[in-house]
Amino acid sequence: MKNNVLIAGAGPAGLEASAALQRLGYNVILIERSETIGGHLARWDRLFPDGESASAALDSLIEGIWGVKCFTDTEITSANRLGKSFNVILSNGIIVHADAVLMTTGFDLFEASKKEEYGYGIYDHVITNADLEAFFRNGSDPRINNPSRIGFVHCVGSRDEKAGCRSCSKVCCATAVKQACEMRQAFPNSQVYCFYMDLRLFGRHYEDMYLSAQRDYGVRFIRGRVAEVSENLDGSLMIKAEDTVASAPLKVSLDLLVLMAGMRPSVSGARIGSLLGLQSEDDGYFRVMDGILDAQRSTVPGLFLAGAATGPKTLPETLADARAAAVEIDKYLSVTFPEAKDFKQLMRKGW
Amino acid sequence: MSLLDISTLAAMFPAISAAQASPEVIDRIPSSYSDFVIPFVAGMVFFLCWVSIGCVRIFMKIGPSDQAKFWKSLVNPVTAAKNVKDLFCDCLFHVKIWKRKPLLGYMHSAIAFGWFMLIVLGHIEVALFLPKHLSPRAGGLFYPIFYRYFVWINPGHETLRGSFFFFLMDFFLLYVLTGIALAVFKRFRSIVLGMKNTTRPSTPDRIALYSLWLIFPLRLLAESFTADLSGGSFLTLGMNHLLHLVFGDSLYFQPFWWAYSICLGVFFAAMPFTRYMHILTEVLWILFRNAGLKPSHPRKGVSEAEIYACSSCGLCLDACPMNVQRKNLRFSSVYFIRFLRRHNERKINAIADKCLMCGKCLALCPVSVDAPALRRAQRRTVNNLLPYDYSYLARTSAPAAAPFLGSAAPATASASGPVEAPSAEKVMYFAGCMSHLTPRIIKAVEGLFKASGTDYVFADRDGGICCGRPLLLAGKTDAAAEVIEANKKMIEEAGCGTLVLSCPICYKVFSEEYSLKGVRVLHYTQYVKELVGSGRLRLRNGGAKYVYHDPCELGRGMGVYSEPREVLGLVSDLVPAGHERKESLCCGGSLGSLTLNSRDRDKITEAAVSDLTVNSPEAIVTACPLCLATFSRKSPVKVRDFSEAVLDNLSA
Repeated sequence: MKNNVLIAGAGPAGLEASAALQRLGYNVILIERSETIGGHLARWDRLFPDGESASAALDSLIEGIWGVKCFTDTEITSANRLGKSFNVILSNGIIVHADAVLMTTGFDLFEASKKEEYGYGIYDHVITNADLEAFFRNGSDPRINNPSRIGFVHCVGSRDEKAGCRSCSKVCCATAVKQACEMRQAFPNSQVYCFYMDLRLFGRHYEDMYLSAQRDYGVRFIRGRVAEVSENLDGSLMIKAEDTVASAPLKVSLDLLVLMAGMRPSVSGARIGSLLGLQSEDDGYFRVMDGILDAQRSTVPGLFLAGAATGPKTLPETLADARAAAVEIDKYLSVTFPEAKDFKQLMRKGW
Repeated sequence: MSLLDISTLAAMFPAISAAQASPEVIDRIPSSYSDFVIPFVAGMVFFLCWVSIGCVRIFMKIGPSDQAKFWKSLVNPVTAAKNVKDLFCDCLFHVKIWKRKPLLGYMHSAIAFGWFMLIVLGHIEVALFLPKHLSPRAGGLFYPIFYRYFVWINPGHETLRGSFFFFLMDFFLLYVLTGIALAVFKRFRSIVLGMKNTTRPSTPDRIALYSLWLIFPLRLLAESFTADLSGGSFLTLGMNHLLHLVFGDSLYFQPFWWAYSICLGVFFAAMPFTRYMHILTEVLWILFRNAGLKPSHPRKGVSEAEIYACSSCGLCLDACPMNVQRKNLRFSSVYFIRFLRRHNERKINAIADKCLMCGKCLALCPVSVDAPALRRAQRRTVNNLLPYDYSYLARTSAPAAAPFLGSAAPATASASGPVEAPSAEKVMYFAGCMSHLTPRIIKAVEGLFKASGTDYVFADRDGGICCGRPLLLAGKTDAAAEVIEANKKMIEEAGCGTLVLSCPICYKVFSEEYSLKGVRVLHYTQYVKELVGSGRLRLRNGGAKYVYHDPCELGRGMGVYSEPREVLGLVSDLVPAGHERKESLCCGGSLGSLTLNSRDRDKITEAAVSDLTVNSPEAIVTACPLCLATFSRKSPVKVRDFSEAVLDNLSA
């Protein structure tokens, strides 16, 4: 008999793990809360550090899930344990008898309007990183009107105790540098400023991207947080910040301000987590068995975690995490359901 | 025992002087000294010495101007009347507690007022029934206390008025005993009396507490044992008959009078080291308070009277917003004051810095001990010494005043000339730094100004300086004085008759510390209320269901409760919150705390939000930028500013 594996969340982690588990011979049920699969990746234009197309990456991920039973617009309404397995009722009425559950519920983007001092939703020319990606995809946004001075604010909803977000979101620095370069490509006569606390660009090719932003695109990096933003009478923005390198307060007038909204634990993920009895840490992300050796296993037997559900991750990290979770699930099911083993071996021999 | 009606009582009083005029006709037989009074007298003498020295110490630490203020207040008929009222209502009847928690109020007033009446009636009895040759002087200190032991009835000469006092004494003894019974019960099940948390008593507190509990039952026993000889009423005589039934004809009463005296002695000797010192000190504090004296040092002078006026009743424990987490109980005002008494510097500073300064403990304190002011005074001892540099204020004072003179408001050009008397028509709007962090308030307030055709100047459109309140809250008084001076100069030079503020923190300091001559200082809720009243703003009821949150600095801080509610009542369906007005909960974002971490603040915010949403409103409306920002981060329902709510409901 094939084991059922339920995967909650059809973002990159969910897609990659489904593909891997399907190949390993499991019966994979992938559910997605929204109407489309792909998660945040589906709303992105290009990926750092090399400017790869996000939609191309998503397409190849989707290609891999051939044979997976995928339900969109579906949520988990209730879940309880049934012996070694879970009895999960979905909102479309289907009841899944899952031998393992993988949570790939991802993250929510920080609501930039909560940092009201930056004026998102109040001023006409303040947007978020996600809005800018949408602009790159669609080519139009009423708030972006041939700007000549553009500012990026790093760490909006990251490393900010007051906003209740202590952790670093890991990807925004690289995204900001990428988007800063893209803005210079889109508006060659513009001047771009990045207001940062620390630059956390750590991966392969990232440094090249950062150097290129300064050398080839003339992006100006200013170390210091933006204190407040006000709107001039002509609709342009007045930014008050501190240049901590020069130890001086700073006022800049800008035509567009881009807020690098950080990653927050997924609210709907937390809801499912509480149905399944998952524990969260203080930061809101799910607790894993061991952060180093056992980073895909939750504290509940049979429940696994992958991707940004256990903390901010870049896309390659998320995909690697998903593959690791698939291996962990395979290991778990082989031990817990030995009677299914022979069937699986037959499957793998390709009979 | 027959009950007297008032008319016979009134008829009897002229007879009092006649009875004293003929000493041979006495209805009581006094005896003299007995050894058992020694414990009480010793305890009482010690206590009185301590109190006298304490009073002298306190008065020596009060400056001459404050002393003059104090003596003047005592002869001022208005303050004197207030003193009498407050002494009765606060010290004896505990009206403030009655209003909130009737059972607790009954307990406190039974012990305080009942005991007070026993003492007063004891003295009246001595004055009335003791013959001249055995004046109170001969009986000394203890006669009124142990009256029943020393003065026996003269059979055949009992009078009705004597019985009347017997009845009153028994009645008030019973009254106190019910209070004590409730107090004992409260130790085990305080929640029944409306208290979730109670104070942890210190060791001296416990000694005094147990002796206080014992005093009155022992008094009942002692008086019951002697009631057939000394006279008594329904309680003591009844007990006496019962005791005769059980123990036979002769009752050996000496041990109970000894025990009663020892308990009294222990209580009074322990009193200076316990919370019960409040019984006398709160009298002094109420006089100081009504004279308008303010503490300048956290522990000396006026403060000493204030901290010893704290009865450790623990009402501030449940009041404190930090105590949504039990671990924070130790930061409550009651413990702050206890450590002030103990001179425990390390703990005092930690507790002083933690407080959110929401002022709820002050609002609910039965004797209005101003713990937030004491905490500010304590912070001052540390933080006022920190270095600061506002030299730039002098350099930039001219340009700082310039932007608003040249701002975009229509009628400002006339202000560039020499300024004459402030014109009440012209309004200055000072947003303050917190409003600058919540730009939707500024946008909405400007919208309201425009809609009402107000001629205004925006003082800090391009940035201003701090109003000084956060510095004062942190105890940096000298630094605050400098920014206050700079702001004051800027406002006076502008020549506006009305100053409107959108931040309650600014509003409080501009009203209380600036003494702006000829300038009306208004919070924007008050100004909008005026605009609505004069018909310059016409509103319609949008039908939305709102709940209003009282910001601490606006409500408890400045007493502005009704104006925002009246205006919001016109534009919406205003539903009540769980706690309102002076009982309202702090949002958790207060600038007052110097050390409370964000996780603890979040817990406070969550508690406040769930309290505000008990009647499931569509939005929380508040009138403080800090509350707005704090709630917006945590609330499941929409959070709106007062100005936004009004602006959305203007009728065309």
